[in-house]
Amino acid sequence: MEKETVTLTIDGKTATVPKGTNVVDAAKSVGIEIPIFCYHEKMLRLGCCRMCLVEVEKMPKLMTACTIDATEGMVVKNDTPKVVKGRQGVLEFTLLNHPLDCPVCDKGGECPLQDNTFNYGAGDTRMEFKRFNNVKKKELSPVITLDRERCIACQRCTTYSEVIEGDQALVMHNRGFHNDIGTFNDQPYDTRFSGNVVDICPVGALTNSIFRFQARTWDLDNAKTLCAHCGCNCNIEFGARENELMRVVSRQNDAVDDGWICDKGRFGYEFVSSKNRILEPGIRKDGEMNVASLDEACDETVSKLKTIIEEHGPKSVGFIGSPFASNEELYLYQKLMRLGVGTNNIDHKSYDDTPGLPVAHYDFTDIESSDLTVLIASDPTEELPILDLRIKKAVTRLNRNLIVLNDQKTLMDKYASLSLRYNVGSDGVALAGLAGAIADSLKQGEAPKVEKLEKTTGIKPNSFKDFAEKMIAAKKVCVIYNPAALTGNSVAIVKNLLSVLNQKPEGECGAIPAAPATNALGAMDMGILPDFYPGGVSLSDDSKIKEVWGESAPTEKGFTTCEMFEKAASGDLKALVVFRSNPIVDFPGGDKIEEALKKVEFLVAHDMLHTETTALAHVVIPSVGPGFDEGTTTNIGGRVQYRRKGLKAESFPDWRVLAKLLSGFEIEAKYLDSFTVTAELAKKVSGYEEIRRGSIQKEGKTRPAQASVNGKTPEVTSPDSIDGFKLRVSEKLFAKDKILESESALAHHFSEPKAILNSVDAKKLGIKSGDRVKVSSGNRGLSVEAEVEDSCNPGAVVVSNAGDEYRVLALIQDHNATVQVSKE
Amino acid sequence: MFAFTKESEEKIETILAKYPEERKMSALLPFLTLTQRQEGWVSPEAMVEIGKRLDVSPAYVQSVCSFYTMYFQYPAGKYIIRFCHNISCYLNGSDSLLDYLSKKLNVEVGGTTDDKKFSLIKEECLAECSAAPVMRVNDDYHVNLTKESIDKIIDSLK
Amino acid sequence: MTQILLKNFEVEGLTTLKVYEKLGGYKSLKKAFSMKPEEVLNEVKNSGLRGRGGAGFPTGLKWSFLAKDSFPRYFACNADESEPGTCKDRILLEKNPHLLIEGLIVSSYACLIETGYIYFRGEFQDVADLMDEAIAEAYKKGYLGKNILGSGFNFDLYTHLGAGAYICGEESALLNSLTGMRGEPRSKPPFPAVQGLYDKPTVINNVETVCVVPWIVNEGSEAYKKLGTEKSTGTKLVSVSGHVNKPANVEIEMGTPVSKIIEMCGGMRNGNKLKAFIPGGSSVPMLGIEHIDVAYDYESLKEAGSMLGSGALIVMDETTNIVEATMRLAYFYMHESCGKCTPCREGTRWLYQMLGEVLNRRGSPETIKTLQDACDNMAMKTFCPLADAAVAPVVSSIDLFPEDYKSFFAEAAATAG
Repeated sequence: MEKETVTLTIDGKTATVPKGTNVVDAAKSVGIEIPIFCYHEKMLRLGCCRMCLVEVEKMPKLMTACTIDATEGMVVKNDTPKVVKGRQGVLEFTLLNHPLDCPVCDKGGECPLQDNTFNYGAGDTRMEFKRFNNVKKKELSPVITLDRERCIACQRCTTYSEVIEGDQALVMHNRGFHNDIGTFNDQPYDTRFSGNVVDICPVGALTNSIFRFQARTWDLDNAKTLCAHCGCNCNIEFGARENELMRVVSRQNDAVDDGWICDKGRFGYEFVSSKNRILEPGIRKDGEMNVASLDEACDETVSKLKTIIEEHGPKSVGFIGSPFASNEELYLYQKLMRLGVGTNNIDHKSYDDTPGLPVAHYDFTDIESSDLTVLIASDPTEELPILDLRIKKAVTRLNRNLIVLNDQKTLMDKYASLSLRYNVGSDGVALAGLAGAIADSLKQGEAPKVEKLEKTTGIKPNSFKDFAEKMIAAKKVCVIYNPAALTGNSVAIVKNLLSVLNQKPEGECGAIPAAPATNALGAMDMGILPDFYPGGVSLSDDSKIKEVWGESAPTEKGFTTCEMFEKAASGDLKALVVFRSNPIVDFPGGDKIEEALKKVEFLVAHDMLHTETTALAHVVIPSVGPGFDEGTTTNIGGRVQYRRKGLKAESFPDWRVLAKLLSGFEIEAKYLDSFTVTAELAKKVSGYEEIRRGSIQKEGKTRPAQASVNGKTPEVTSPDSIDGFKLRVSEKLFAKDKILESESALAHHFSEPKAILNSVDAKKLGIKSGDRVKVSSGNRGLSVEAEVEDSCNPGAVVVSNAGDEYRVLALIQDHNATVQVSKE
Repeated sequence: MFAFTKESEEKIETILAKYPEERKMSALLPFLTLTQRQEGWVSPEAMVEIGKRLDVSPAYVQSVCSFYTMYFQYPAGKYIIRFCHNISCYLNGSDSLLDYLSKKLNVEVGGTTDDKKFSLIKEECLAECSAAPVMRVNDDYHVNLTKESIDKIIDSLK
Repeated sequence: MTQILLKNFEVEGLTTLKVYEKLGGYKSLKKAFSMKPEEVLNEVKNSGLRGRGGAGFPTGLKWSFLAKDSFPRYFACNADESEPGTCKDRILLEKNPHLLIEGLIVSSYACLIETGYIYFRGEFQDVADLMDEAIAEAYKKGYLGKNILGSGFNFDLYTHLGAGAYICGEESALLNSLTGMRGEPRSKPPFPAVQGLYDKPTVINNVETVCVVPWIVNEGSEAYKKLGTEKSTGTKLVSVSGHVNKPANVEIEMGTPVSKIIEMCGGMRNGNKLKAFIPGGSSVPMLGIEHIDVAYDYESLKEAGSMLGSGALIVMDETTNIVEATMRLAYFYMHESCGKCTPCREGTRWLYQMLGEVLNRRGSPETIKTLQDACDNMAMKTFCPLADAAVAPVVSSIDLFPEDYKSFFAEAAATAG
């Protein structure tokens, strides 16, 4: 649909802009700068700083260009004497009580107040009084410091807190000259997105406590790169000085982050200098780990693997990749395993998933244009924070609708027009029922017996219908699902639901597979799967595989991670290469995995940090990781972007390690840099044909969606009834793990895990909020505080994955995740 | 801990009935006023409670509360004296009367007496200018003030 | 002289429905309901009635700006009387609450409005309580609620109190405050007639304005137009305060000379000479003795260099220290600035500081120049008129009484010498 436009002139230049554009942005479109402080294109038009005064023909007084819409035939003047004097006056008022401490101010060099004063200010001040003294250092949180004297009360930060975050945490207190930004009762301003206020503050009032007084902005070496914490892949800028990371700031990319980043992305970067980093390769000899050269470590790996392949066949070797690594690294690894070792024992996850979608692959901007977004099993607030902001934007500012379908309560429920809570473990039944309800409404198939489903799923019969009606009524539906939080074959059922929805005669729909890990989608695309080659090529597509990968490419289905651990435990899997993954802590059933890994004859761990898994390895190879590495990652929206390095690593980049290993297996690997790998994968991976340095340099590029393999309608199995509680592990954005260690600037966010019980169950067990309870299964027990809240339906318990030390996932010891809960 | 009294709860119902349900935030000022009438001030605990009832954050409640000069965020005196000092009262000698009252109560303007009986506040126009000088003691207006009338009024307050 | 507003004020028990009705109260409802809403609106439009809150905008015209076909609409009656010198609404609320209720019913009928709020300043708890009683009486009698007098017209009326903020008298700030927000003005457009309370079309009228409406309906717009001048029709309540013998609220016909109004209030205090007067509340420029006979109406006062404003006549005699009086007003605006926009937040404080410099004999001609320029930089550059109001007394007092300002420099030189 064509947007209506208006044409106006600004200083004689003609601008044609979409209706609804304000004069500031209209001027910008023709290269005319109108100075601003309070206006921010992503927020409300405040009009309070008065810096953007312009003359508009037929208007008696100067107007604020930010608050007025451009209209047809409007004549704007930006440089008349009246405007110049008006702005000089505004600047004089702004600076009346603003300290002139630019020489020590963190904002120096990138300060709109400095710039506007330089461009539009008078040379001198007539203020003869002592500047108003105010608090110079007020710690709003451990990471944000307010210099009250510098604040010009523009209300950007408070508006941000209300409109963008939706928390109303940072507010304006008092009034008039005593206006003061602050929080309730001086409590810390410690939201998940608090750091953005530092970026949007037009003066040096809100400062990054860690960066404060550490360096001048113009001395920083800035790298335009990506955040590597989650699957959103927000665009950020690394500011380093003498190879030390000083700060992270946001770098607007509307297709991804809309200009915001979360606090984990901004402040959670200590891992680049963690004392826990693996700096040198090591080879274990007689139980002792000895430092080795990279060549020695690679040679040892190649020769041991070759021996094992010779003795036990390629099926005795497995590879566990990482959904956090770059496409290039993962591409090379699968190439090594498939063409070098000759196996499809390749995987990266603990849940069932397949590449491709039966509908369009949507991205962040589609959420804004969809009149209905459906969140399935996803908790964006904790898992993919920037997705949280985008959904809030769609709901609160664009009047879009949201349906939440989950087994636990999330903060997104607040924004949903329909929230369905299915019983933990019944996701397959619930989703199949909902798909059935849609099909029924479309008169395609038999009505599901929703009355029967209520007992299994906990969803009321009329909710199925309500859901279906809303899905069908919407013109554009965006379904976001988290495969990692679905059980059994539920991902296949979701895809079936999408296929059903796609049958509706009008409107469109698409989906976003929202696994939380940084490059989870890339790992799928790169074929880090036992049953798919890169580009979603199924093993059954023999000819395609042979054509791209050669005659010797294996086409027998490999082991999943789960099977690999089983085979390792039984002694059938002799060698395992683990790349940037710590299954002992991060996969369900950690103790069994640990026992299994101990049995592996030859374990190679290629990782950035020392972990429980690297501790068992026979060969350890350092991986440089985010900050040091270069390559591409694919975010949940299918956008492939360029992760640049911000720091120089002391060890080899990972692609070079891979090149050595590939050469060891006599596979040509003459790569010059990571982009030569990108060039190769662009040729080999369907969907990545257009990906090259030039095409993704700026904003990245969306790779076309892969079609999913049309299979049979998945079978639906009812969950077993169990003796005990079903455990639902909820993710935490700020978990005390290897990445955010105890010294993290974000340590104030850490919390102990809690067991959240439904009030019905709590009553039965005589448990009150605050009681200590034991959550146990097998030989594992976790003593935690109980919280009674109807987060999940009766029969289940939610435990937050608050940190590695708690080993919460080790409580999952059977496929039902059965645990016992008792009062201590 | 803060809780609305039974009497206040009844008033809350009347207040909420004034506004469309989806606009219940309109009840914020009335709730703050009600709280102050009940407690003498608006405590942080009360702000949390009000926030819960109206679906706004406690920070928001505090932000609004601090904008309006009639709310106290600390326990104030039993009698709140708002003494006008602006133009019409000023022209009619309010400055010396305010000074007189301040000395009489032995409290600085803006302060509360040690016995927590009186808070003396300088006020910007109470809209009784044709009867200046004017002061307001709690809800009651007192006009055409003189030293003598001030003595009488203060002495009558127990 | 015709009394529209202060009529029957001496009658005991006027605040009760019984007495009010006996004196002809609520009569206008029947007449209005016999007319079409737009006929009532046109009657008000034709009467030339202008907003009595300060801006003097034609009331009927304001009503006709309501966004077409957009419902519900709201009526917000502005009883946030806070302008220094102004106490005319308070007396109406205190003495004759039913008059306002009657006016609101008829006005809302004309505007197709079914819900009204009276926004009182927080300090008006006593008169708001009185109003609640009057509203309850009116409901009981069927003047409020559903199907009023069988007309099919429904109207609910509620009181709402602020809590200490002059700025809430500005209409968009009033709406924000009524919504449960800080009383910061909104950027306009959109105007309240299009997006007002709860983003719905809203009429905001001052208490006095609304109180005139029943008379216009009863007596007709032509009768109203016969009062006052051609462009300033009707009568006006004037709050007279300051240095007169009998300060009072007086109802005058528009066009009455200021000297006459002062006379109505017993003349100048102690027989002193007039030095200056502020004709329309603290937000308008002051005038000197040369304007003593200026006609009290919108046009004449504008021509004299000031404004009718809220209708508060502040009289200052020859003993007045103009600089100190101006500084007192500057303090008011500093105290009441909401702080949202920079020129007002910073400027009001700076003006106060500079006036203090003058008063403390540290001023110089340079100070006056800076004062005037700062005023120029504030005027017409902010969201709402508060900064313009803050500037008015400063600019006008410097213009009118440069010698008074200079006298402080001279003394400064003398003491220095």
